[in-house]
Order: sequence, then C-alpha cells, then structure tokens
Amino acid sequence: MKRTVDVNIPLGPVHPCFKEPARVKCETKGERVIAAEVELGYMKKGIERIMKGRPWQEVMFLAERVCGICSVIHNMVFIEAMEQISGIAVPPRAAYLRVIVNELDRMQSHLLANFSYCYTIEHETLAMYLLDCREQVMDALERLTGARVTCAYMIPGGVRCDIHAEDQVVLRESLDRIEKELHRYASMFGNGPMIALRSRGVGILTPVAAREAHVVGPTARASGIAEDRRIQHPTYKQLGFTPVVRYDCDNYARIMVRFDELFQSIRLIRACLDGLPKGIIRGGGICKAGEIRYSGEAPRGELTYSIKTDEVGRVVEIQIQTPSIMNIEACCHSMIIGADSIADVTATFVSADPCIACTER
Amino acid sequence: MSILQAIKNKVRSRSIHVSYVDVGSCNGCDIEVLACLAPRYDIEQYGIFVHNNPREADVLIVIGAYTHGWEEKLAPLWEKIPDPKAAIAIGNCPISGCCFDRRGSYVDPPVSKHIPIAAEVPGCPPRPTEILNAILSVRDLVFADWEVKRR
Amino acid sequence: MTASLYWYLREFARIEWVRKFFFARTAPLVTPAHFRGFPEPTGKACQHALFCMMVCPAVGAIDVVHEGDGWKPRIHKGHCIRCGLCVEACPNGVLMSGRVLETMQAQGTALLVSFRISIDRDLCTGCGNCVTACPVNKQIDAQLGAGGHSSNDEVIMRVDDGDVQVLHEEKCTGCKICETSCPTQAIQIARILEGIQQPVEGGGP
Repeated sequence: MKRTVDVNIPLGPVHPCFKEPARVKCETKGERVIAAEVELGYMKKGIERIMKGRPWQEVMFLAERVCGICSVIHNMVFIEAMEQISGIAVPPRAAYLRVIVNELDRMQSHLLANFSYCYTIEHETLAMYLLDCREQVMDALERLTGARVTCAYMIPGGVRCDIHAEDQVVLRESLDRIEKELHRYASMFGNGPMIALRSRGVGILTPVAAREAHVVGPTARASGIAEDRRIQHPTYKQLGFTPVVRYDCDNYARIMVRFDELFQSIRLIRACLDGLPKGIIRGGGICKAGEIRYSGEAPRGELTYSIKTDEVGRVVEIQIQTPSIMNIEACCHSMIIGADSIADVTATFVSADPCIACTER
Repeated sequence: MSILQAIKNKVRSRSIHVSYVDVGSCNGCDIEVLACLAPRYDIEQYGIFVHNNPREADVLIVIGAYTHGWEEKLAPLWEKIPDPKAAIAIGNCPISGCCFDRRGSYVDPPVSKHIPIAAEVPGCPPRPTEILNAILSVRDLVFADWEVKRR
Repeated sequence: MTASLYWYLREFARIEWVRKFFFARTAPLVTPAHFRGFPEPTGKACQHALFCMMVCPAVGAIDVVHEGDGWKPRIHKGHCIRCGLCVEACPNGVLMSGRVLETMQAQGTALLVSFRISIDRDLCTGCGNCVTACPVNKQIDAQLGAGGHSSNDEVIMRVDDGDVQVLHEEKCTGCKICETSCPTQAIQIARILEGIQQPVEGGGP
C-alpha cells in the first residue's frame, strides 16, 4: 500500500519533554501520526559486560546503577537471586524492612512518572505538587537508608541498617501527610476536565495489543492485564497483595493505575510497620556457585536477572531483562499510531514511563 | 571596568538558562537535577530556568559517562550554545566514569576531553542542595567580564 | 466550561494557597545529619588493614597513604560513590559517614572480609612468581627461593612438583599482588564479604 507521508518529525535525543536521550521518529500526515519508530543507543554503557567476574559487593552497586530511578528493586532482585543460589535465609525483620524500602522507592518512581506526564501535558501546578510530594518520600527513604537515590540497602542475608524507633514515628507521620495530599492530587487528576481532554481516549493500548507486545507493569495493568510479580514474592504473600487493574487502556488509566499503586504502597508500608517482627537484621551467609533466573516487580514492570556464579560467589554470566523495552515497543507500535497531534506523541510516550537507562544499560 | 560591563555581569548572574544533556548516566543524577525544580529547592527563584533547548541556554549541564552514541553529537551541541556559555559536570560519571570506567565498558570518560568543563559536582548522585550550591557558586564567576576576557 | 472554571477557582483561589504563594520560603540548603556523605576520619589511628580499599566498589575512590608517622585513608571525590562500605568494613572505626558508624555500633552489625585463592591448573606454569611476590610469604620465610620453592610449611603457597600448592589460605591479606605478577592470569584472589550481626546486650529495638 502506498503511504503518503507529509513530514518525518524526529523528537529527541535532546528534547524538552524527554529527560533521557531517545529519538522518536514520527511519520505524519498533517497532524496525524501514521507510523513511529524509536531509536535507541545513546546510553549503552555495557554494564553486563563489566559485571562479569566480580563479587556481589561490586555487582550490587553496578546493578543499582542500571537505573537510578528504580535502583532499590535492581538491588533487591540481584541480592535475592544471589540468596536463592546460595541458600541464604533472610531474617523476617530484614524481609519486612526490604519491603518498606522497596515500596518507598516505588512511590517515588510513580510520583516522578506522574510528574513527567503532568509536566508534558503542561499542567505544571499538579506536576509541581507531585514533585513536592516526592521530596517527602525521598526524605523518608533517606532517613531509612542514608541516601536518596542509590540506597545500597540490601546485602545477602539481610539489610544494611535497622530502622530506628524514632524514624518509625516520623515515617508514619509522613505517610499520613503524603496520603492526605495524594488523595487531593488524585482527585485533581481524576476530575480535572482539561486533563481528561488531553488524556482520556489518547494512546489506546488494547488488551490484545498489550499481550502481543508483552507489555508489563502499570502499562499492562492499565490495559486490564492483572500481572504483578509481587504476587509470587513470599513477603508480599504474607502481607496480602492484590494487583491494581484498570480497563480504560488509555493515558488516563496508566496515570491512575500509578496513583492507585501509590495508595497501595502506603497500605503495604503501614502493614509492614504494624507487623514488624523483632530480631536480627543480618543472618550472614556466603555466596556459592549456582545458576538462577529470578524476577521481581520493578515500578515499570517485571525485572528479570539470570545469574550464574562460580564457587567463590563471583558472577560468571549475567543477563538483565528490564521492563521498559517492551513498553517502548508497545508505545511506538500501538499507542502512538493514530495520535491526533504531535503533542499527544510525547504525552503518550511519557505515560508509558520509559526508562532509557534501564533499557540500554 | 565600565558601568555597562558591571550591569552585564549582574544581569547574567541573575538570569541563567540551563539545558541539560544526558550522555549515558544511570538516571540518578538526572532525577536529582529534576528534583532541583521541586518547590522544596525551587531553582527558579534564583533566576535559573531549566529547559532543554541548547540554542537558548547559557549553561549546559552534562550528566553521564560519555557513551559512544554521543561522539558526533555532544561537540555540535556544545557549539550550538551561544556565547557566553559554560558547562557543568554533575556527578561522578562525567568526572571519572564512576563505576562504569572499567575494562570492557563502552564509556569514554572524562567528558572534559570532549568539551570544556567549567565546574564539577562530585557525588553519586549529588544531592539537589549540592547541585544548587554549585550552580549558585559559579554563576557569578563564569560569565563575569566576558567581553573583557574575550579581548 | 463553567464547571471547569468553578473547579479551578475552587482549587487555586483558596486563602491557604494564596498565602503560600506570597509568603512561602525555600527550605535552607542544608544536608541532614543522617545523610551518608563522603567518609570522614574519626580521629582513630589507621592500622593499615586496607579492608576499605578491598571492599570499595568504585574505581580508585580510596587509598591509604603514609602521612607523618601513620597511615591515613584518603577519599577521592569524583570517584567515591558514598556507599559507606568502607566505613562498615573497617575493623578499627577509622572512617565515619552519616549515621553508618554509630548505627552499626548500636546494632552490632559488621562486614567480615575473607579471601580465597583459586588457581587455574590449566594455565599455571609453576613459575613461582606469585610465591615470591607475596609480601606475607616474604615475611614468613625470608629464605624463599626464586623459583618459589620453600622448606617452610607456614607459607601461604609454594611450588611443589612444578605446581603451586596453597597451604594456608587464611593468612592471605587480599593484596592481589600475586594476581598482577602472574604472567598467565592463572591465580585469582576472591574477596568474600559476609554481613553479620551480633546483637548488642540491651541495645537495638
């Protein structure tokens, strides 16, 4: 079929809307987008190559630096994979602390994703509200782990430090405050008519297309696919976890899924603080030889580490599968196609929360 | 120094347009620069406006360890920025390559090999307060007496 | 249209919001005490255990230099990633960073560093370079032969029958000099880190 293309518009790699370098090439007819292509390759650092032949204490920090936004989950999945290989048991208190830190990290990542979306559709007030809310989450994270972004909180057999008694009080207070604010912001987003004009019915990803593209994370859950690796995680099982699902399949649903997951994370952290077992936080244990494929739920979706170690616990082979690559592909194959204007392209691209650093490593 | 120059110095240090470019970082410094926009730190109250257009920028914030994808892109980007201009390296990556500067990786740090860097903020990642302090401490210096120095 | 106008007015024309708009102040640019910053010396004497250098995950971030009449750890800004592992690994508490040191003393946590020597028999030529290069070996047996032969049973490793035999792995200090002196990269030292906790009496939650 002969296609008439008016203009081929490239967006990026340096673009006001993208925080990271990626190039989206849009073939347009008038304002209508008829095809899109994402060009990557600006961030390839070869992390998996330099991970090889190193012990866990070095790989752990490299794993954190696969992605700076969701660094805790990379740390957690890598360390839990090493624990599964070596048969190291985690003390129950450490397991609960891990969930607290992981959920705080998920909260800040979702807040950042929603901020980016609001910023892209030029609703700067709500964006700044969300960014201010994120600072409170970062404060809690910093209080617990000692660092804002690259926390380095989990080690094989436990966590780095225990939660202080006074920090528990501060954490509960800030959670109450964050929840109160978030209710207001979620209703602002959910009921704002201008936001609905830019978001509802834009960037439709049907469940069939979502399954074809193997979409993961909030992008999949907004298309009615109830998939979440946290269901299989033993600590989350104890806490009682059900994934959030929405069926609208558009930009609006993707952002609202993140809002819902924020409230869910607050509930999970509260449940952890209520039922925090007493005891030690480090069980010890040395990494051994073995091979495993282990997954966890990153803020953007399913994250998989395939690791092979040698007898002294050094990583011999490692493969990381990060969630963003599927979401980006789904984005340019289904979501962007048929967008009514170029402005919707950036909004749709950002609503899938692409993380280029994860994708290229 | 002429009065005109004094006015120029004053104005330039109070109105800085920033463009940032990520040349292969882990995103950690990226979101810390973004956090500077937050009402908590509020970078705009100091007259610093962050947007991503190199042609309007005065200061280029460089994040990341310089991957090969940027070889033909960073230097032209730097040339597109009108004079007077300065580049600030945020985080360990542009300074030393951080954890990534090992045998077998695809990075080529430091960034100062490729474009001139005026200031460096160490840390992995630096806190937003450190980034703000760095920008505030260099803003009076980098553009001061630019016309005089050029002569 | 009217509904949206009403809605925006209700949201943004509140007294609280207007007051914030005119009188809000920026938080002072300070770093909280619990932030894990660059490691700083506590003032205790460095015993030259070098565990800080061995666990450091960054490239060239820390080294221990001879200064005055003692050793002193030196942090290189621009390389240090502020992970705090050196603080935890130091057996003498020479470094501190944020709350890391006091927290680990209060909770009784520590990082144990041990070393394993692995020799690839296919690559090893039995030249004995590693044996003679090893500083611990030199201390134990001053008579160490150039070919790596030794009559002393206390050395870490020695060449027997044209092959390097490891006798006392536990004496290794993890300096990795043998690795650099090996012409075929046959010998490798693994630094093994283990996080442990001995709960303090009456301390902790």
